[in-house]
Amino acid sequence: MTQSTTAEPPLLALDGLGKRFGSLQALEGVSLGVRAGTVQCLLGENGAGKSTLCNLIFGVYGRSAGHMAFGGAPWAPASPAVALERGIAMVHQHFSLVPRMTVVENLMLGQVKGMLHRHEFGARIRDIAERFGFVLDPDAVVGELSVGERQRAEIVKCLMRDPRLLVLDEPTAVLPPGEIGALLDICRRVADSGRAVILVTHKLAEIAKVADRVAVLRGGRLVADEDMAGADMGTLVHAMVGREVKPLDVALAEPDDGVADQPAAAEATGPRRFALVCDGLSVEDRHGAVRLDNFTLEIRPGEIVGLAGVEGNGQSELGMVLAGLLRPTEGRFYMGDVELTHAGAAAVTAAGGGIVPEDRHAVACVTAMSVAENMYLNKLGQFTRFGLLHRRALHAAAETQMRTFDVRAAGPEVAFSGLSGGNQQKAVLARELTLDPLVALVAAQPTRGLDISAVEAVYRQIRAAARRGVGVLLISSELDELIAVADRIAVLYRGRLVGERPAAAGERAAIGALMSGQVMSDQAE
Amino acid sequence: MTTTTIMLSLPDRRRMVGVAVPFIAVAGSLAIGLLLVAASGKSVPEAIEAFLDGAFGTAYAIGASINRAVALALVGLGFILAFRANLTNVGGEGQIAVGGIVATAIGLWTPISDLPLGLAVVLPLLGGTLAGALWGGIAGVMKVRFGTNEVISTLLLGFIALLLVYWCVQSTTLLRQPQTSSATLPESLPIADAVKLPGLTGSPESPLHIGLVICLLLAGVTAVVLQRSTFGLRLRAIGLNELAARRAGMPGGILLVVALALAGAFGGLAGAIMLQGEQYYLKAGFSSGYGFDGLVVGLLSRGSTVGVLAGALFFGFLRSGGISMEIMAGVPAALTLVIQGLIVIAVAGSVILVERLERGGR
Repeated sequence: MTQSTTAEPPLLALDGLGKRFGSLQALEGVSLGVRAGTVQCLLGENGAGKSTLCNLIFGVYGRSAGHMAFGGAPWAPASPAVALERGIAMVHQHFSLVPRMTVVENLMLGQVKGMLHRHEFGARIRDIAERFGFVLDPDAVVGELSVGERQRAEIVKCLMRDPRLLVLDEPTAVLPPGEIGALLDICRRVADSGRAVILVTHKLAEIAKVADRVAVLRGGRLVADEDMAGADMGTLVHAMVGREVKPLDVALAEPDDGVADQPAAAEATGPRRFALVCDGLSVEDRHGAVRLDNFTLEIRPGEIVGLAGVEGNGQSELGMVLAGLLRPTEGRFYMGDVELTHAGAAAVTAAGGGIVPEDRHAVACVTAMSVAENMYLNKLGQFTRFGLLHRRALHAAAETQMRTFDVRAAGPEVAFSGLSGGNQQKAVLARELTLDPLVALVAAQPTRGLDISAVEAVYRQIRAAARRGVGVLLISSELDELIAVADRIAVLYRGRLVGERPAAAGERAAIGALMSGQVMSDQAE
Repeated sequence: MTTTTIMLSLPDRRRMVGVAVPFIAVAGSLAIGLLLVAASGKSVPEAIEAFLDGAFGTAYAIGASINRAVALALVGLGFILAFRANLTNVGGEGQIAVGGIVATAIGLWTPISDLPLGLAVVLPLLGGTLAGALWGGIAGVMKVRFGTNEVISTLLLGFIALLLVYWCVQSTTLLRQPQTSSATLPESLPIADAVKLPGLTGSPESPLHIGLVICLLLAGVTAVVLQRSTFGLRLRAIGLNELAARRAGMPGGILLVVALALAGAFGGLAGAIMLQGEQYYLKAGFSSGYGFDGLVVGLLSRGSTVGVLAGALFFGFLRSGGISMEIMAGVPAALTLVIQGLIVIAVAGSVILVERLERGGR
């Protein structure tokens, strides 16, 4: 559909682009051309370098190596403001709109100086929306708009600058399925107006119909760059999730002797058939969008079930529900034999539900309090006599615990915020794993941001817990992690459980395909 | 010699700065206040004399100042308790008012004088405390159930309480004294002697009453609760990170309601003590700004019980002196408020300054 453009030089040309953050090589040797009038899809898993690439183009960071050219001239924007000025606009994953203001007021922010001419500006918004084939009410209050409408407001905000290149970072991640088609239509029209569009995503299936070209990033390198027309989906998925040699593999290679122990563990726990049962859990957000859809899963004592999925597909909601912090709209869940659907966080703890939350700082700990206080946050009653906290006993217990779980800190009384992420996570894990009884453990992204040794320690603890008969739900977007640690892997996509595979290296492609929204032929619907 | 140099090592010097800066700030604002007095055409020496006389001049003056400080300190203690859970109780005024209403109602109950064991004194105090707790608790429930910001709800509940006082003293079916003539004031009858708080000194010269003892005891309890108790730690956790506290099984909503109810209880008790200790009858405007001054005391104390007591004493003497300045030297009451405002700004500003110096020195 864009043959005529092949003769022209690309609008944006990247040549050997690299970016290094400290010791982390986020991007290396990326060469890519994006032509005017086309939709370029940028594919990759979390951490593959997609966002870094966008941020280099948009002037958020400076590059470490290579060259960029835009419109034939060298391109090195000092800031996003400069990039905007010179014709590159970006729609970020997190919108920057003020919810209490109307669309027109939001869009006037930063674009209008002096007198405000609401009506003229509103008319411009309507014009642009109409030109690209959608409707946007300039006088609607942003807070009352759906996510899709907010996104359209962001797109109009970009288009008002009349950019030559529009970058959309994970635009489909926030959308309900019904609104994705409309977004893709807008992208097509933007490209047809002679601009270039870069669509960043990890959901290949969704964007396949609109992309002209597709580039795949993995581990910071460009591993595929081809015309969408001739591309084979299977090959692209494989390129995206393909086996990569990471130092992580060393930690993962530890033999999982837990498998052999499983039956014994199951028997040891007696009559309890399941450690964790999710029965048709559904969650709707405030806007009525379904975030978790009829989620059903049973985990036996001693079993580690991995829950794979690209972030934003309902994992956070599931984690919050199982932590007792969010009431599901529908469905029930049990830990052991206790129904906990509406019981709240304290009851989950009492029933033996260990929770390692996804967002450590927001949910797992109070960083301004001490290590000891955090390690016993849910068990302070043990150290209370006549209402007074027995600090010496608390510190002594915490010290023992810190040794057992290798939490490295100057002492139990130092502030939690002073610990490294790995030590914080080990402390949280210690707190949750020492519940008595411990029936089930729900660990969400437990190794995010940790260094290798901490990752190893976390895995060891999780495996040991399973060997003791604890049912573990491991929610992670790292496929390697799940394959190494879990017994079986369930895949969450758009809030639905779309399939289940054994945790074996050979299943990578199949799981990856499920994660990216491709319906598998053997999927039971 | 060596010991002194060691003692005056850097942290000590910083601590001295921490004490000195607020003192200088207060002295500075007092000086500005005197300049304002001079500018208003009044005699400065006369004003100073009237101030000192009213604040410390006589045993009576000192007793009255301390009694004022007791009410301020109680409101301030309640404030820092709730503030530990990151809740700002600005409803002290209303909590004093409902405390005063209930204490009056119980105190005017005729058979109360015959009760044994000092119950005649204790029951109105308890009643006032519970009324204040209820008033604060309402704001807590509104926060937990509907997400109403407690700054707004406690403030507005305060206005309602002030109007309730007005209603009570206007209506003979409520607390107004029997109307014998058109000149009967809209006030309640005075409470019986048995209901009044016993004096502390035994001398009729000093109005100092056992409210001071109650206040000091409660200050001790508050300090222990905040520093040593599990409840205090839980308040802190919920104030710092509500989600994490709830995840750790703490009853988030209940803790917030209890925190605000406690703050209200302190206010209600202050109201009861003001009524039974000094005023003896209820009238409109009964709370006369103690709730807001107590809030300032709590804010300036930065969460320290000792800070609350010190601030309350300071403001208690300032108020007494101000009233005397107004009566004796003819200095407008508004000017005392201006000086008080200057001091608040000076102290708050010096707190920030000290923090900055500490950070800069690190």
